[in-house]
Amino acid sequence: MLTEIQAILEFFYIFVAGIFAGLLGAMTGLGGGTVLVPVLTIFFQIPLIFAIGASLISTIATSAGSASAYTKQKIANVKIGIGLEMSTTAGAIVGTLTLAYFNGHDLLWAIYILFGVVLLFSLIPSVKKTLAELPPPMDGDWTTRFFQLHGSYYDQRLKKTVDYNGIRWWAGEIVMFFAGFISGLLGIGSGALKVLGMDWAMNLPMKVTTTTSNFMIGITAATGSSIYWHLGYIQPFIAAATAIGVLLGAFLGAKLLVKITNSNIRWLFFSILSFLGVEMILEGLNANHSVIIPSIVMVFISIGSSVMVIVLLWFYVRKLRKDVLRRTRSEGK
Amino acid sequence: MKSFDQESVTSVILKSGVLLSLFLIVLGTLMIFIMKHADNLTLSQIADIYSTTIINSSQISLGDLLSGSLSLDGIYLISLGLWVLIFTPISVVFVGIIDFELQKNYRYVIMALVVLFNLFFAMLVIG
Repeated sequence: MLTEIQAILEFFYIFVAGIFAGLLGAMTGLGGGTVLVPVLTIFFQIPLIFAIGASLISTIATSAGSASAYTKQKIANVKIGIGLEMSTTAGAIVGTLTLAYFNGHDLLWAIYILFGVVLLFSLIPSVKKTLAELPPPMDGDWTTRFFQLHGSYYDQRLKKTVDYNGIRWWAGEIVMFFAGFISGLLGIGSGALKVLGMDWAMNLPMKVTTTTSNFMIGITAATGSSIYWHLGYIQPFIAAATAIGVLLGAFLGAKLLVKITNSNIRWLFFSILSFLGVEMILEGLNANHSVIIPSIVMVFISIGSSVMVIVLLWFYVRKLRKDVLRRTRSEGK
Repeated sequence: MKSFDQESVTSVILKSGVLLSLFLIVLGTLMIFIMKHADNLTLSQIADIYSTTIINSSQISLGDLLSGSLSLDGIYLISLGLWVLIFTPISVVFVGIIDFELQKNYRYVIMALVVLFNLFFAMLVIG
């Protein structure tokens, strides 16, 4: 039995965890859910389905909050976003039902592992995003004309209007289905995958990609959340604390992000995320009883492997940066 | 031809939806702590975050959301707030449909309708 004070304190702790998740999610561009699920399950031992439910609901709040600012600046392409939502919403339905199957068959340990793997792989596009260069301009293909994928926005940093043509609409839809699936399965916005779909598959500029994906995340998460509700994956007390906390954290994160000029600080955040990713994988192995690792050993393994992940990512970014430099130099000649 | 500014309307809807839901969730939380019970559960039952059976969303009847909230029941206020949050991005799709319709962009009207179909399929059929 919890006393009144204990209940208030518990609410407060989850609320603070939400702020932390929102802050980190905004700073790294991964979104609050990706941080919230590991924090709630590892540090609070909250049941995984409740953590996933609370996380997806909070994702709607941050998506809507930040999208309201971006759509006003007219960078996000609402048209392309809604077109791609056909796939993400369908994917979210399949993903949510898959989670229900896993939950009903004692397979939640696999969700832990998958979560960790997805978190680690999400770091790659997020790190790449820090470079934020424009894609090489390409002529449109038939999907550009048929689905009206051209657009323009005013880039404040470059001080010019950028015109762009989206291509390979069908490839974008395929990646988006997968993004929706992951969102419904793991309770995250899966912004990294959405960015991959628009940046890599459709050749859209990074600014358009990130802002449009932000606005799409809310619609995908709304689909998943309404099924979660009926499945009973949302605990109102937890969801209330995280929705308020994550929203506040994301708001503070967005403000801070503008002020941070030293991009190296983001490496600290990336290392926290990779730590959480490895922890989740180990947690899953523990839950499966395939290996029993004492929690203190788990922490050491996580720290060790996250150092490795960060070093690899750092070299990857250095190589990318060199490629960008070489390209701009050869263009200048 | 654009007859209204879709982006600005979208932005206002998103912002007001989030603020309204935030207000309801905060009010609901305060009511739980003040009344020390809600929806026939005690505070310590509501705050039991480790049990998946004492309270979860499947036990909260959506038909009672409004009446429960009007009687200032904390659980129902939070639930209503969460549902306002879920409907916030959905309303953006509605605005999209109106905008595409006014522009006679029927290809996109159909695509937005597919999105809405998926959303309501998730809510009504699967639920």
